[in-house]
Amino acid sequence: MTTLQELTEEKLKEFEARIARGEKIEPGDWMPEQYRKQLIRMISQHAHSEIVGMLPEGAWITRAPNLRRKMVLVSKVQDEAGHGQYLYHAAESLGVTREEMLDDLLTGRAKYASVFNYPTLTWADNGVIGWLVDGAAIKNQTMLARASYGPYSRAMVRICAEEGFHMKQGKEMCIRYAQGTPKQKAMVQDALNRWWWPSLMMFGLHDDESTNSDVLLRWGIKTKSNDTLRQEFVNELVPELHELGLTVPDPALYYDEETGNWVYGAIDWDEFWQVVRGNGPVNDERLAARRQAHVDGQWVREALEAYAARKTAGAAA
Amino acid sequence: MIHKMTDTQGPRFEVFQQERESRPHQNVGSVHAPDIEMAMQNARDVFVRRPQALNLWVVPAQAILAKTVQEIEADPTWNEPVDGPDGEAETYYVFQKTSQRRAMIYVVHVGEVEAETAEQAMGLALQKYAGDDVYVWWVCPASAVAASDEDDIESMFAPAHDKAYRMPNQYRTITQMMEAKKDE
Repeated sequence: MTTLQELTEEKLKEFEARIARGEKIEPGDWMPEQYRKQLIRMISQHAHSEIVGMLPEGAWITRAPNLRRKMVLVSKVQDEAGHGQYLYHAAESLGVTREEMLDDLLTGRAKYASVFNYPTLTWADNGVIGWLVDGAAIKNQTMLARASYGPYSRAMVRICAEEGFHMKQGKEMCIRYAQGTPKQKAMVQDALNRWWWPSLMMFGLHDDESTNSDVLLRWGIKTKSNDTLRQEFVNELVPELHELGLTVPDPALYYDEETGNWVYGAIDWDEFWQVVRGNGPVNDERLAARRQAHVDGQWVREALEAYAARKTAGAAA
Repeated sequence: MIHKMTDTQGPRFEVFQQERESRPHQNVGSVHAPDIEMAMQNARDVFVRRPQALNLWVVPAQAILAKTVQEIEADPTWNEPVDGPDGEAETYYVFQKTSQRRAMIYVVHVGEVEAETAEQAMGLALQKYAGDDVYVWWVCPASAVAASDEDDIESMFAPAHDKAYRMPNQYRTITQMMEAKKDE
């Protein structure tokens, strides 16, 4: 007789074989409960990050220095809203509802990328966010585009294609300001000083500290470790920052001839945990802004529902 | 005291996009909306910020019967032969996922069957569109599908063509980096 445990082991073997063959797991397919839970956690956090991620840059739309920059910034913020929608959809395919996820965000139960709990103090922050924060996100998302779960993978492919624009518009700004007036140079250097470390923290804990990583790598949700991605990011970025005459705010940074890596100094994990736990510079402000937006939209949702109900009643009559 | 804050996001609608005249509609994701008319508007905002759509379909998610090959293999009743309708039938659209390689493609519109119920439509689709490389099957009544209105198509999809600044190739960062290096 086959026991339930043997049956599950059999299914698990088949599941892992499918992932090894490069097949995508689709909604409706058998999957281990832990795979489902980890995906819901990751994808919903990712979706919340896109939604909260609209706020730091959105604050600058009315103060863009010219019309082109304003159109670019509006488009970028619109894209982030769309990315949140793609990702909520992917999470819903695992059995969690949109209402549950939004409620988790609005009540403060859910986490989102800590980097958005830092304030945008000058216009140059928009450039550095595009180049560094979106650049770090692209590194992570390019990897996740190969994820074993079909809906997550497809959302990531779509997002990566659009993030290319986000990164490049930011990089373009940084290049211009680094070659601009002394004031512009100082402004972009100041922004770099403030966003460098939060960008490095975006890749998550070091590999030996990251408790979720093993299972995520085993089941093909992630295909590269946090430290591998962070090192790739630093290696690509540092030479270009130097070429622009900018200073990386890490006195310990050096080039290791042997490995070809730019070795960075110690990341301040105390600060990281402070921000994750809600004590970052603007955690409260971000959450308050999301709640206010939700309350402000209440009458619109009510009006749309009333319209829909009246149309249904009209059609029935 | 934390209150439950979310009211309702409305029902979910699956969105299908046609990119070119020669290509079928393919599923790209879903949106929430109070009704199908608003679902079409939301679908446009969420999925067509760039010039890549000729037409959209939106379908209430509850109108779709979806099965993966794994689910079909696990239930022997799907392997039994299905007869065509003998009562009042309607047209059902059939969608398939047929590739594991092309990461972007999920279920694509492949054709139609006439059936009385979604289950019968699925059974008929399994016979009519059988193939070795089918991984996911969807059927839905054609009557549940709302397509972009002919009159709205230009105003919905044409403006994206003028927003070239959304495209990464509009930013000459590689050349600019080389110039910055020269100036140094």
